[in-house]
Amino acid sequence: MSNVIQASGLTLAYDNGTKSIIQDANFSIKKGEFVFITGPSGSGKSTLLKALYGQLKPSTGTLVVGGNNLSNISRPKLQELRTHMGIIFQDYKLVNEWTVAKNVVLPLMIAGYSNEVQDTQARRLLKHVKLAEHADKYPLELSGGEQQRVGVARALSKNPVVILADEPTGNLDDYSSNVIWDLMENACQQLDTTVLVVTHKIPTIFSLPYRHFIIENRGIYEVH
Amino acid sequence: MKFINHLMFILPLMAILLGLEFYLVFERTTNNYETTLTEDYRILVVSKTPLELEFFQDLNEHIITTIEIERKGIVSNVAEGISKDNANAILNALPYFYNIGLDAYLETSEIEKIKQTLESNHYIKRVETFGSSHSSNYKLFSFIKLILEVFILFMTVVSLFLIMKQMEIWKYAHKERMQIMETFGAPMMLRSGVLFRVAFFDAIIATICVSILFFYIKYSWASQSGIDMIVKNRDVLFQASDIMVLFISAIVIVILAVYSVVFSSKGVED
Repeated sequence: MSNVIQASGLTLAYDNGTKSIIQDANFSIKKGEFVFITGPSGSGKSTLLKALYGQLKPSTGTLVVGGNNLSNISRPKLQELRTHMGIIFQDYKLVNEWTVAKNVVLPLMIAGYSNEVQDTQARRLLKHVKLAEHADKYPLELSGGEQQRVGVARALSKNPVVILADEPTGNLDDYSSNVIWDLMENACQQLDTTVLVVTHKIPTIFSLPYRHFIIENRGIYEVH
Repeated sequence: MKFINHLMFILPLMAILLGLEFYLVFERTTNNYETTLTEDYRILVVSKTPLELEFFQDLNEHIITTIEIERKGIVSNVAEGISKDNANAILNALPYFYNIGLDAYLETSEIEKIKQTLESNHYIKRVETFGSSHSSNYKLFSFIKLILEVFILFMTVVSLFLIMKQMEIWKYAHKERMQIMETFGAPMMLRSGVLFRVAFFDAIIATICVSILFFYIKYSWASQSGIDMIVKNRDVLFQASDIMVLFISAIVIVILAVYSVVFSSKGVED
């Protein structure tokens, strides 16, 4: 099975390379894998995720996502790559002036799908995350758990190659968290989508032996 | 976007368009007025011998007309009651008088140059430029023009600053949405599409408002103003082509303004 993400000698740093967060990391993630990356606060989990969706360029080494080397990727190529990613944030990052349905189909809108396709997908996805009746509401009218379900629906809307999730249940109660984990696990198993979750602690509901990396002392190590 | 945000963009844009239209109208009106002044203005030349237009044109290229003042008419005014022979003697002794017309409304220094050139010719006895009235007219005119241009420039600069400030507000209002769209791979034009739509709409509104104001000035206020120069020049107060000039100017301003927002937002994620 081919690698969707491959890091070789990866160093991530801020302040023009002077403040390194991740140093000389090597790992690879295959298509359809569900992977956890954990670590204490400030260890560089979110920094790694930013690098994975091209917001932060590697200082040294290579980071290849979906066949694109993010060290020297052009802006149009990066935009294209991002349309094949589903990104889930701890603070949801929904557009509050848009309806729930419009938020869900943002990736389709960017890809230029027709309004008809967008409407159909919005209905299907909102039904999938059990928010069908909230399609015309605005994000701030929903609870935190519901907003994150909108975020998951948005991430799934264009059948992404990879889903990157940054503490997706960090602001949610146990019930809402379990709903979100179920949705992500289903996406991985049914759509063969690679899911990479950055979190400070692996939730107890996971019984399957998913791969687990830990960020420690600026290195990334696989836990066996 | 709230109506007040539109208004905060439309008003300074209208101020710039008003300044531009006032400038255009003033230029056209003053050009007409200058033409009238030029047509009415004459230099009086007294010569020893009859002279042709070509002679004057060889001396200065601004001279375009010469009208000889009838000497017999002058003599008939002064020789009333005297004999025909004496009248003929006066006529023979009388020099030749010419009214000289110029091609443009020249500055006083230029008029003075023409006077010196003419006076240096030995056929010409005397030149009268009526410099003081010409000079005072021209200086007053130039002064009004300068004041208006400075005022328009000042208003434009202040309005541009207001527009830039409003753009800052737009930038913060749209920053989060644009960042989210960028994260999901939206190209710049899609991210900033809503800003362009809003700005184009505001540009249309501002153009319409300024056009309506000038239509009112042209068709209602001008004829009732009683100001001779305005009544005479009513046709140049506002022309159909001005709507296009205003609209294109408004569009250029909004495009520059939106691009400034878009490019300043781009750095947020980087």
